[in-house]
Amino acid sequence: MSIVPKETIEVIAQSIGIPNLSPDVALALAPDVEYRLREIIQEAIKCMRHSKRTVLTADDMDSALNLRNIEPIYGFASGDPLKFKRAIGHKDLFYLDDREVDFKEVIDAPLPKAPLDTAVVTHWLAIEGVQPAIPENPPIEAIVAPQDGKKMDHGKDDSLPVDLKLPIKHVLSRELQLYFDKIGELILLRPETALFKEALLSLAKDSGLHPLVPYFSYFIADEVSRNLSNLSILFALMRVLKSLLSNPHIHIEPYLHQMMPSIITCLVAKRVGEQVSDNHWAIRNFAAKLVSSICRRYGHVYHNLQSRLTRTLIHAFLDPSKALTQHYGAIRGLSALGPSVVRLLILPNLETYMQLLDPEMQLDKQKNELKRKEAWRVYGSLLLAAGSCLYDRLRLFPGLLSPPDIQPWKTNKKIALTHLPNNKRKASSTLNSHQPPTKKLAVDPTGANSQFPSTDGPATSSSCGSNPNHHHSHNSSNNNSSSAGNITNTNTNINNATGSGALAQRMAGSAVLRQAWKEDMDAGHLLSSLHSLFGEGVFSFIQPADMHLFI
Amino acid sequence: MDDEDIEKAVLAYLRKKGLKLTELSLQEEQNRLSTDASHSRSQNVADSYFDGYSRLRSWAYNSLDSYKHELLRVLYPVFIHCFMDLVAQGYMQEARTFFHTFREDHELMHLRDLQKLEGILSPSHLEEMELARFSRQNKVKIRLCEYSYGLLLQFIHKTKSFDMLGVINQHINFEVTPGQPTSISDDSEAVSLIGASQDLAREINQKELHWGLLEDSVEERMEKTLSDLDKTEVEGNKEGDPEENNKVKKTDGNKQGTSVSNKKKKDKAVGATGKSTRSETSMVSVAPRVKSELTLPQLPPEVELSILEDLRNRAQLNSLALPSVSFYTFLHTHNGLNCSAISHDGSLVAGGFSDSSVKVWDMAKIGQPGRASNSQGENGSMQGMHSLASDETKRPYSLLQGHSGPVYSVSFSPFADFLLSSSSDNTIRLWSTRLNANLVCYKGHNFPVWDAQFSPVGHYFATASHDRTARVWSMERIQPLRVMAGHLSDVDCVQWHPNCNYIVTGSSDKTVRLWDVQSGECARLFIGHRSMVLSLAISPDGRFMASGDEDGTIIMWDLSTGRSVSPIMGHNSCVWTLAFSCEGTLLASGSADCMVKLWDVTSSMKALKTDESKSGPTSRLRLLKALPTKSTPVYNLRFSRRNLLFAAGALSAGS
Repeated sequence: MSIVPKETIEVIAQSIGIPNLSPDVALALAPDVEYRLREIIQEAIKCMRHSKRTVLTADDMDSALNLRNIEPIYGFASGDPLKFKRAIGHKDLFYLDDREVDFKEVIDAPLPKAPLDTAVVTHWLAIEGVQPAIPENPPIEAIVAPQDGKKMDHGKDDSLPVDLKLPIKHVLSRELQLYFDKIGELILLRPETALFKEALLSLAKDSGLHPLVPYFSYFIADEVSRNLSNLSILFALMRVLKSLLSNPHIHIEPYLHQMMPSIITCLVAKRVGEQVSDNHWAIRNFAAKLVSSICRRYGHVYHNLQSRLTRTLIHAFLDPSKALTQHYGAIRGLSALGPSVVRLLILPNLETYMQLLDPEMQLDKQKNELKRKEAWRVYGSLLLAAGSCLYDRLRLFPGLLSPPDIQPWKTNKKIALTHLPNNKRKASSTLNSHQPPTKKLAVDPTGANSQFPSTDGPATSSSCGSNPNHHHSHNSSNNNSSSAGNITNTNTNINNATGSGALAQRMAGSAVLRQAWKEDMDAGHLLSSLHSLFGEGVFSFIQPADMHLFI
Repeated sequence: MDDEDIEKAVLAYLRKKGLKLTELSLQEEQNRLSTDASHSRSQNVADSYFDGYSRLRSWAYNSLDSYKHELLRVLYPVFIHCFMDLVAQGYMQEARTFFHTFREDHELMHLRDLQKLEGILSPSHLEEMELARFSRQNKVKIRLCEYSYGLLLQFIHKTKSFDMLGVINQHINFEVTPGQPTSISDDSEAVSLIGASQDLAREINQKELHWGLLEDSVEERMEKTLSDLDKTEVEGNKEGDPEENNKVKKTDGNKQGTSVSNKKKKDKAVGATGKSTRSETSMVSVAPRVKSELTLPQLPPEVELSILEDLRNRAQLNSLALPSVSFYTFLHTHNGLNCSAISHDGSLVAGGFSDSSVKVWDMAKIGQPGRASNSQGENGSMQGMHSLASDETKRPYSLLQGHSGPVYSVSFSPFADFLLSSSSDNTIRLWSTRLNANLVCYKGHNFPVWDAQFSPVGHYFATASHDRTARVWSMERIQPLRVMAGHLSDVDCVQWHPNCNYIVTGSSDKTVRLWDVQSGECARLFIGHRSMVLSLAISPDGRFMASGDEDGTIIMWDLSTGRSVSPIMGHNSCVWTLAFSCEGTLLASGSADCMVKLWDVTSSMKALKTDESKSGPTSRLRLLKALPTKSTPVYNLRFSRRNLLFAAGALSAGS
């Protein structure tokens, strides 16, 4: 008669202290219990619908009980969906896993994060009936598949209304599973073999790997976080990523957000590799290249990809508490994002950063050789970034290289004049800090070097003879670097020396750069003049033809 | 019979003895006794029928929603057969009282039959009248699902109403089907004798309905001025060249005319754009005009101007020109968002939460102020809102607290200066969006108020509640003006007709009703949904209505005839919201299946007009576009006066 068996009634009766309920009474009560249950559920469903939900919650039952003036059942209003477990041995018996909670544990546990406050954001769902491809809207191909799934679900619902929805299984063919296992094994155990190279090739070319992409992205993220100390595995993982990215048959956009964190980890992690001697620079460079290729390919699809990335990196770059290795990674990453990023984000901060970096690079201030080396690395990357940026600017205004030859006086003078106070101030501030180390390095070039800003200033301010002076400064810096190289052929290498020679010039240069970009009008003129201030380190970024023109 | 034998023997004995007096007195006494007995017996029989039926009736009316319509179907045959049983047994007086007591229940549905049956005055009439004879001879077939059948038997056994059992056994054939109860629309033919509730609908739907638009609305006035302008222009062109004097006069007259109302002048200024819009807006003006039965509030002039501005700038939508949709996504709601509302210009967004709070966001102030609010905003509402957020420095929204239960609906007044919220604490609250404060708390409903909607002109609002009534209120009175009772279950949603003379309500009894606000009477009954009705929308010309239900079905109705135009399985899940575009060419629907769908109304309605003679669904709505969202069920849709579509929903990470 009733779906509530009389045994249930008897059990309930016992639980509330009626030990022997007569079977007749139980039998009579059962239909009524069923009726009441249906009544409550009906009201609960109404509450659910009016809360615009399609899943019945414990709250809905409580409101339904409230509607009927019955005391609600306490203890279920946790907000989380209830997790039912299947009783072992019974096909359709479910129970709630209600564990006993230790008070002490609860009290000692750290406070959970405060939930985020409700917010409203807007986006265009459609513009004149067409859905724009923005992250707020679902990707186009995702639309087709779920519809089928929903239809199937719906059909199932119709036939078996009380059937529980089982989690959807993602079916992978056995071949794909084997392939995945094999690749995983190769990455972890034999990343140096020729077989692995073949695997990379296959990853980059084979079609039909798409079902594996989520697994790979998870695998990579997982292994990167686990193997930060193992350089070879990290390299292998990054190579796999690169192959996946280059595979034309894989639609990787939806998984980019999972992959980016692992790449960024490789780029700006504090420590990569087991020993300090490990060549972690290489993996950072590799990761930077990956980042740039991703941005180039998907930047227009994921419009906030680049901005998010840049924010992360600039954060790492500008935080003085971060290790130099992290700074290096951040700079490499930023410069990989393109010259305009460098121009907008690195160059404005260059001056202040240099003041920070400076003591680290000097022999007497930083006794730890390793630290000093790191600092020089960072310096090198900065130079590269600024240089490539400059190169880009020059390429943008190719015609502008000649004007300085025709009328170099005017522009040069102007810059020099505008930056005179700046230069002077810097000269006074930087000279003090620079003189001792450079003196130690090499006496001769130091003189020229330290003289350079101070002599340059007055020379250009007097209206004639700035050009020769200019060339002189070139020569001096050239001499400077070469001679420094000759003198100091100890383990403070060439890079070191060139850098130190160019350092003061760079300081001046950065200021000029900034000013130059403020005055958009004659950007080209200014560039040509300022790159003369940069020294040899910069020349490598200028095409020979341009160089010829210039000199 | 022993008694009779003895009587006869006694009488024979008395006659034989010649005791005439004794014989007479005996007969007299016998007569008296027999009439007494018959009287008391008749009283008993009538009472038992009366009790049995009234108990069955009240039980059926209070049964579970999903089974109620099946059980109610049993009542009518039981009623007429109880009546006829009483008549057949000769208890005329009792039969009449019985008939008149319960007649009302079935009057709407079976008025003609009842009028016929009323004429039965003696048992012989039962034989004569065809209807009565037919129904006495034939059994009624009623289809019930297993569970309702069980419920019915259980009830009869429990209450021991054997009279009812007898009637049911004698005259009703139950066709018990396994599984779920059948839906109302299925069984209209199944109940052969009675014709079920379809009759009721037919009966109600005979009533006269003035579905036209209001006289003298802003749109109409604009229309008129435009056409006037056009006429004078045309005439001017005709006569202009030959007689220059005449032309001058005409233009003079024109100038005078324009100076009378500044509106006219404005129209002239944008005559070029106005002309292009006219062809479309004239579709609205085709609708007949009706007088308002309510006293309507006056429009402030600046609001009227802004409306005119919007009308002129309205984007024309049709099957080829689809609207832009701006979507408001609620983040971090923790499953607490129950409802949302968007003001007409999209500048304000309100959400009602299950934690009893109402939150209002001013879109002009957060994040991207450039978007919707720039194109739509800068109207009357905007000026007032400046004071609102000045004290709200921390939160990006203004928090309205006052309810003591989950808030189930929020609704902005037409000019967004007021906000209405209804809650499970049985009250409706009116908030001022300018002052950010609660103004009035309306108490009247006895159960949670599921829906509250401002009328298109403001000032009046309608509410729908779990107490099975819909009520109409005005802002200035704390008591309702009208109580609309008639639905057999919760009234789940309510919507105003554009001319404010009617409201429509959708209910858990799977029907939609249209009520006359002035008389409070049900003017239309729409049967056809198979589950709870969740959303309603009426086309701007006031002729068509769309309703959406729990299963995802969307039905278009013709209000004038009460017929359904085109039922479609529009969605896979609950249709939370429906909205017509301003010219009524498009219908937008939003659902729990995370889709906004756009339907072509014009083509299907045109088809309807051509073959109007045909009954039943002649055409279907054509799907123009399905816009999926990213796991965001669509709670609310609204076309702005410029035909930009606003949608709102809460991002549900779980699903």
